[in-house]
Amino acid sequence: MLFFAYPMVESLQLALRREGQFLNLRVEPVEDAAVAGTVAMQTELSVLERQRLEETLPNGRTRPIYWFEVETVDAAGETIRGWVSQSNVFIESRTESTSARVVSGEASQEWTLDFIRRMFNDFRFSSALGTTILLIVLIIPLQFVLAIIMALVLQSQIRGSNLFLYIYAIPLGISDLASGIVWYSIFTQRGFINSFLVSAGLRDTPFIFIQADNHGWMITAIVLAEVWRATSIVMVIVVSGLQAIPRDYIEAGEVFGANLWQRLWHIILPLLKPSLQVALILRTILAFQVFAVVIAITGGNIVTVLANETYRWYDPARFNSPNVAAVYAGFIMLLSLGISLFYLRAVRSQEEAAKAL
Amino acid sequence: MKKVSFILVACLALVMLTGLVVQAQDDAQITFISTQFNVVEEAEKARAIVSGYEGGMIEFVVSEEGPLLDLLRAEAQTGEGTVDVFGALHGTFPTLVNEDLLFDLTDLLASIEETTDVSDAFVALGKMGTQDYQYYIPWMQATYTMAAHNDALQYLPEGVDVNAMTWAELADWAKAMYDATGEAKLGFPVAGLFHRFLQGYAFPSFTGGMVSKFKSAEAAEMMRFLRDDLWPYVNPESIKYDFMNAPLLSGEVLVAFDHVARLKPAFDERPDDFIAFPAPAGPAGRGFMPVVAGFGIPYTSADPEGAEAAIRFMLSPETQGAILSQLGFYPIVSGVDTSDLPKGVAIQAAAVEAQSNSPDALPALLPVGLGSRGGEINEIFRNAFNRIVVEGQDIETVLNEEGATLQTLLTETGAPCWAPDAPSEGPCQVE
Repeated sequence: MLFFAYPMVESLQLALRREGQFLNLRVEPVEDAAVAGTVAMQTELSVLERQRLEETLPNGRTRPIYWFEVETVDAAGETIRGWVSQSNVFIESRTESTSARVVSGEASQEWTLDFIRRMFNDFRFSSALGTTILLIVLIIPLQFVLAIIMALVLQSQIRGSNLFLYIYAIPLGISDLASGIVWYSIFTQRGFINSFLVSAGLRDTPFIFIQADNHGWMITAIVLAEVWRATSIVMVIVVSGLQAIPRDYIEAGEVFGANLWQRLWHIILPLLKPSLQVALILRTILAFQVFAVVIAITGGNIVTVLANETYRWYDPARFNSPNVAAVYAGFIMLLSLGISLFYLRAVRSQEEAAKAL
Repeated sequence: MKKVSFILVACLALVMLTGLVVQAQDDAQITFISTQFNVVEEAEKARAIVSGYEGGMIEFVVSEEGPLLDLLRAEAQTGEGTVDVFGALHGTFPTLVNEDLLFDLTDLLASIEETTDVSDAFVALGKMGTQDYQYYIPWMQATYTMAAHNDALQYLPEGVDVNAMTWAELADWAKAMYDATGEAKLGFPVAGLFHRFLQGYAFPSFTGGMVSKFKSAEAAEMMRFLRDDLWPYVNPESIKYDFMNAPLLSGEVLVAFDHVARLKPAFDERPDDFIAFPAPAGPAGRGFMPVVAGFGIPYTSADPEGAEAAIRFMLSPETQGAILSQLGFYPIVSGVDTSDLPKGVAIQAAAVEAQSNSPDALPALLPVGLGSRGGEINEIFRNAFNRIVVEGQDIETVLNEEGATLQTLLTETGAPCWAPDAPSEGPCQVE
């Protein structure tokens, strides 16, 4: 229990908690001395005196630690005086400068909604959310129709359906990043499609699919890559559901003269509901997390999704803000939770619906 | 049969384990982690270069920036370190400086400078805004230039000299290529280091500053130029390019802008097909951005003497020459023998030199003083570009909005202006 809950709580509280916004001045140059006053970040301090301490490190060297006695005017307009350590201030010269600036605080923590506001105000947020939902709406129905057809083909034991299964399941063994790269190389300017178009004489110059003015093709490429990669996992679940349906029911249908379509609609699909529910929940949750395929195909700058924004905020080379990244992660989790509850209610088997009455 | 293979596997595992133990006990080994050269072939070349060190053995390990920062922080907390010395870009250091994790290397630098002359400009950058604390010792430098396939030269408008061209002339050239071939043949690494193009090249060349003129009329004119005169002739797949060598080699683009190291594979592979030339100039000068990587020694280094000796080795003119000829990063010490460079490297080196020595050169420094929020400024520049040029939003509105975000960032971090903006008292101001 703790194993699953602890990392989640620890990371999600990043979304709501801010660290070190104030610096405590100390009455003497010691880490846990009494507090002489509190100053905000970026406050200019005038340095009155300094003290050099030394810490001997395990490698034999010494590390100088400076404490500065400083004076400043606090928020209430009163002059306060106290000691700060070098690690909390920017100072041009530790030995000579007469002024310093507060750059970090002690581990004072406060709850804040700032990070949540930053996420909602970010101009890429709405486009990321929109694209993620668009992808789900396009991919999931397509995958389910395909997966059910495939599963039925397999179940029917037509000659060669085993070979078909192997070909069909191969993409399952390919990582999402790799499948993104595969489909990028199909759509790129010197890619397979363009080589074909040009060599077949259908076009003089390659058609550029991946371009900012043409989101449609990028979305198409992402949808194809995702369908190619992840449909067989749905099929696996559907096949196991199909195998659990007693042959008697279907045979009974045949006896009463139900054609293929009627058997599918009135017998197989209703009995498949529990498996479909599991598959829907799994696939949709994974679709909210779509990331590597999008990066590989679009570069993640023009077409972006929620998981890509999470990484953009976390990345030390970009926003370097784990807090906003945690807000995004929590937001994706809430969406997944909401959609799972929705499926649980919407796709109920008949007995459950009857019980609920 | 099964038994035999089990014993074989067990023996193999044992050999590997003892190997690890022996390696761990070897005291003369110095662990050098680098955020540079983390492409496999580059790492191999770098390993070959450091294997020439005679004072022990330098183990060259590559890492991404984020994991390196996390590792150094974690080691500082436990007090026990495995990293003896690390090499990283200037932009990696502010976080470490803020958290006070690094030795002062002033004395080491002074003793190195007794025999070797280290570039003063980069030594000053290594002080991270302080007067007397050398957080890093410069290691090597690079910059961004243009590269072109020889086929592109036939479309060059008459009278234009590639070595002294303007951005407007580049746009004419791109248009000429478009008109002649029907394809946009100019390329930018929009998915790569494109923010450096905006910060170090576009804004300085047009406005003379990087941040202070962010929302000026000149900046608006620059955005209009990018949107209307240049971008229609830029290969639309640029939004997906991160390294320009591949599109140059494949012929998708004929002219490209990128980091010298990211153009280098094209010059290595087909040095006779490509030329390198300085970035174009704008009304305010020829903005360009030197990039510097440096060495730091964390307090937790298990072997600071070994680390210092390793830095000394890395700064010797011979090592610096090897890095230039094999890895394409430029020396920061004088006295490096450049007479016998591979052809591709020599072509690039000439362009880099022409760029920094051009009469209208306007060097723009990497953003300084933003601390751990250094990445945010990149996103602000990229956002402004994406919103205006890619999405077609109104220039003034976007520049004002992003300018306000930029000002907030500068105010909150208290960063004073850096070159090419004039020095400021207090936080830099977006005019």
